[in-house]
Amino acid sequence: MKSAASGEPRSGARLADSRRRRVLVRVSVGLLAMLALLPALPGVSNSTLFTLTLMLTSVAVAVNWNLTGGFTGYVDFGHAVWFGIGAYTTAILMSLQTNGPQVGWAAPPAIILGAVVAGVLAAAIGRATMRLKGPYFSIALLGTFVAVREIVRVSGGLTGGGVGLTLPPYLNRPLFYYLELALVAGLVAFTWWLRSTRFGAALVAIREDEVGAEMRGINTTRLKVTVFSFAGFSTGLFGGLWAYQNTFVDPDIAFVEVRTVDAVMGAMLGGLGTVAGPVVGTVVLFWLRELLWAHLLDYHLIAQGLLLIVIVLFLPRGLVGIVDPRGTSVTALWRRWTGRGARPDEQGKEP
Amino acid sequence: MTALLDARGVLKRFGGLTAVDGVDIDISAGEMVGLIGPNGSGKTTLFDCLSRVSSLDSGSIRFDGVDITRHRPHQVARLGLARTFQLIRVYRDLTVSENMELSIQWGRVGTARLFGRTDPSTRRRVESLLEFLLLTRLRDERAGALSGGQRRLLEIGMALMSEPRLVLLDEATSGVNPTLVAEIADRLREVNASGVAILLVEHNVRFVAELCHRVVVLDRGAKLAEGTPRQVMENPAVIEAYFGAEGE
Ligand SMILES: Nc1ncnc2c1ncn2[C@@H]1O[C@H](COP(=O)(O)OP(=O)(O)OP(=O)(O)O)[C@@H](O)[C@H]1O
Ligand SMILES: [Mg+2]
Repeated sequence: MKSAASGEPRSGARLADSRRRRVLVRVSVGLLAMLALLPALPGVSNSTLFTLTLMLTSVAVAVNWNLTGGFTGYVDFGHAVWFGIGAYTTAILMSLQTNGPQVGWAAPPAIILGAVVAGVLAAAIGRATMRLKGPYFSIALLGTFVAVREIVRVSGGLTGGGVGLTLPPYLNRPLFYYLELALVAGLVAFTWWLRSTRFGAALVAIREDEVGAEMRGINTTRLKVTVFSFAGFSTGLFGGLWAYQNTFVDPDIAFVEVRTVDAVMGAMLGGLGTVAGPVVGTVVLFWLRELLWAHLLDYHLIAQGLLLIVIVLFLPRGLVGIVDPRGTSVTALWRRWTGRGARPDEQGKEP
Repeated sequence: MTALLDARGVLKRFGGLTAVDGVDIDISAGEMVGLIGPNGSGKTTLFDCLSRVSSLDSGSIRFDGVDITRHRPHQVARLGLARTFQLIRVYRDLTVSENMELSIQWGRVGTARLFGRTDPSTRRRVESLLEFLLLTRLRDERAGALSGGQRRLLEIGMALMSEPRLVLLDEATSGVNPTLVAEIADRLREVNASGVAILLVEHNVRFVAELCHRVVVLDRGAKLAEGTPRQVMENPAVIEAYFGAEGE
């Protein structure tokens, strides 16, 4: 990077950027083509496709989490709530009954409305909580997650309570696989585009120094609530898709803490605040679990904890962060999260 | 002619401590004014109030005829009031040019430009300001890797990017080596000559005397004196505040 900059003084960095971009685009297109051909291979069963679809779902959730956690620096510990809301809205709409005949909605509008509900609620919750700093925001979202799950559990009339809801079964694994592959590819492309816009750069400014960003004319509240709402919408969409494929939801499988933990870990392992990071990290994490930790049984949590330590100590910028300097590190995020990077000026800031 | 900035009775308390105690201050368009005072006299707090980073406990602020007393900071910036910070604020993980590109006049960024990329005219402006501030060769460095003096310059550049009509500079020369201080003085003079008003907080009294036509002195949150550099420096109350109490 440095030598390129001195060799071509005026636009060295931008040239290196565009070269890297070309390589990246080629690699992504190649990977996508491989994944698209996969179902045609002999020996790829429906259950393999289902596993891959679940992996794609995890990737999407991590990419969405990274929009607020990695780019904007707001560490959301309750992100899985949007997944559950999307799943439940879809399930409720599709399983509507009027004493007897099913009058449930068709899947596409139900899933889309589920995503919209998640996005609108995220905007409302974001408005209320994104004025909080660091741990307070994280805990507020964790609280939201737990509260929504309990509300769903006790609102039996609408949600089926603890028993849950059954959706009309429709099993077409290849279709879901292709659909999610296309959606995830679109989401990653969207994230990449977003990062290149002023909006994306401004999100990073908020992460780096929110008071400074606000002082320099960025409407930080509007931007961060917008991206938070989008993340809620998108995770809600994948929640709805998941509910449809799973044909059943109850509070404990729709609202799962581990979905948040996986998103956070995936983004960290791959590279916080990078576009490709959450994708790479989540895929690696997913296969570690499938292939290795499944044999560790009760010890898999220890393995996950050890991995976290390895990331913090040896890979603070994640796997992608090794080659892409545009992200941030776990340690920097931690400093900001705990407020140890804060400056005295911030104390006078009003809520 | 009405003043560009017109603050009346600005009062700010921290618990029992009155950091700014009913200060009146006005700045005309194109003026360069110095704000001096001993440590802890409330200069930075006054800046925080003027730029709306802090809420005031009483008083009012008008900028260019608009009452900004209850504005949010980004609204103030969009009206053309920029500032720098005593404790430097730059986006450390971003490069020098990215820092600059993020400091455009956001008031002119509608939805379409918000979702667009940095345009060539912004890029040209960044290049010419970086050149003006002797930062061109550091363009692609991480801002966090710059020296204190270079970061001060970058912060000034960021303030200028927004095409402000008034810039509040909080100790633009502290931690900067003497050669660079002279450069900064030149640059500020040039900026001011182009019509940008500047309010300058400085510990370096000579620097202020060289640059400013008018100086305001704060002591323990209140305005102690105001006038030309010479008038202020010969004012016994000012000498007492500076040398009597602590000895600068
Ligand atoms: N956030 C805060 N909370 C409590 N007290 C504060 C806060 N900020 C400033 N103060 C106090 O207010 C008074 C004015 O401080 P301020 O920083 O405005 O002074 P200053 O003139 O800028 O000083 P310096 O020359 O050291 O920069 C000081 O007594 C300071 O301790
Ligand atoms: Mg100060």
